[in-house]
Amino acid sequence: MSDSNLIIYEEEINQIEALISKMLKGAEAKCALLVDKDGHLITRLGFTHSLDTTALAALLAGSFASTKEIARLVGEPEFSVLFHQGKKDHIHMSIVGDRSILVVIFDDRTTIGMVRLYAKETATGLSKIFVEITEKSASGRKSAVEGDFVERAQEKLDDIFQD
Amino acid sequence: MVSINYSAREVCCKIVYYGPGLSGKTTNLQYVHTKVPSTTRGELISLATEADRTLYFDFLPINIGTINGFQAKFQLYTVPGQVYYNATRKLVLRGVDGVVFVADSQPDKMDENIEALANLIDNLKEYGYDVNELPLVIQYNKRDLPNIMTTEEMDQKLNTYNFPTFEASATVGTGVFDTLKLIIKLVLEKAKNSQGSSKSSKPAEEAPASPASPEPAVPQAPAAPEPAAQVAVPPAAEPGPDEPLADPAVQPLGNDPYAAPPAASQVQGQPTAAVSTADIPVTSATDDRIPAYRPYPGAKQADPSAGGDAEMDERPYPGMNQSEKTLTNNDSATDESAAMENSGSITPRMAPSLKRREQKKRSFFKKLFGIK
Repeated sequence: MSDSNLIIYEEEINQIEALISKMLKGAEAKCALLVDKDGHLITRLGFTHSLDTTALAALLAGSFASTKEIARLVGEPEFSVLFHQGKKDHIHMSIVGDRSILVVIFDDRTTIGMVRLYAKETATGLSKIFVEITEKSASGRKSAVEGDFVERAQEKLDDIFQD
Repeated sequence: MVSINYSAREVCCKIVYYGPGLSGKTTNLQYVHTKVPSTTRGELISLATEADRTLYFDFLPINIGTINGFQAKFQLYTVPGQVYYNATRKLVLRGVDGVVFVADSQPDKMDENIEALANLIDNLKEYGYDVNELPLVIQYNKRDLPNIMTTEEMDQKLNTYNFPTFEASATVGTGVFDTLKLIIKLVLEKAKNSQGSSKSSKPAEEAPASPASPEPAVPQAPAAPEPAAQVAVPPAAEPGPDEPLADPAVQPLGNDPYAAPPAASQVQGQPTAAVSTADIPVTSATDDRIPAYRPYPGAKQADPSAGGDAEMDERPYPGMNQSEKTLTNNDSATDESAAMENSGSITPRMAPSLKRREQKKRSFFKKLFGIK
């Protein structure tokens, strides 16, 4: 598990973003995030400039992980959809494949049903892309961490981390 | 596992601080948060109880800047140390790239240290990690306290796997950065080596691809242009006259919590080859593919520096135009008693000219709605 890094190329991100854009337009949602279950943000689209998406990704992944434990306790493998209802904004989370979460933030201009419908369709498309990505990552892709990356990172760290 | 995103041009690693309760895991993160410039780190998020004990995790994102054209990001997590929180501890370990084990140097805490380390190893094994392979650093914390064990004693009891160790005092900061620097170095080296080993098992065609484009290794699916075409709808048709904001409010991957510049991405269709140059032109590859979202009518012009909720305050429903909104507000004026009450409450503080204006306004509305 720890040996294969997740490496996503730009073309795949473009495919992913095209699917999510279509969903956002169809469902009239506010924004969408695609989050790795480990808490890494894969991509985000829509009206996200006021959101701290890094923290949001980590918290959403944590939320999903804890819900999975709840599911296990009640005898379910996992809950595939999670919905948070707020006063203005609502969050719909659904599983994509076996390692990502599609998060859609929407408000009262659309309905949960619309979001759910489009999210389900999008998740199916995305999971196909992720199957390819996982296979290609496992079979060895060109990594960004190569050459003098580690040494240059060390130099940066020496500059930043000073007591 | 290390996540490498060629579109956002970032490398993201997850580092978890593990250890028994009250050993100083959260204090490590707090020290990093206070000492590191705000341009390098995000906000420290603590999911803690009222007594400041970690309930789920603490989270601190760090961005050390651009290296070889990629932003190096590290997500620092802590786990709850208390014994009965093992379920949540395990959840936080998911996808970890490196672990800092924070041990308490006091003699009466040694049993807890040993138990926590055994628990860490168990949890890692459940996720399929090999403890000898995973980057792990042990930090002997609280070295500033008077009654502590020597590092030799602690090594003997705790460090049976011969992990690298550091002495630290997280409250004053001694050793905190040294620990973090080493774990980051080990994580990156591991990422480099694991990639290298998997590459070496690939056919020779992979080899020439390394200095140039990664793309030859990725046969592009013919399906690619199709979804892109589906979203290439011009946004002009959708927004009404009362919705002046269109795409400026929509930002695909460009706004970080870090003040560091957004990740450089490349023009769509170009090869993703220029990995080695740090000065890749910053071009948003996705702007033209953003659909025509309807931005919030009340939203101000996109201002990344603006506070989070500024544009969220007044959001009328989409069908409601400005005149309807005004009418709605004026409806309350038709209720005379409400109007009187309203004016009564503000009259004493009004300047005479304002009072006249208010009276004029009221008579106008009375006339408008036929109230005598």
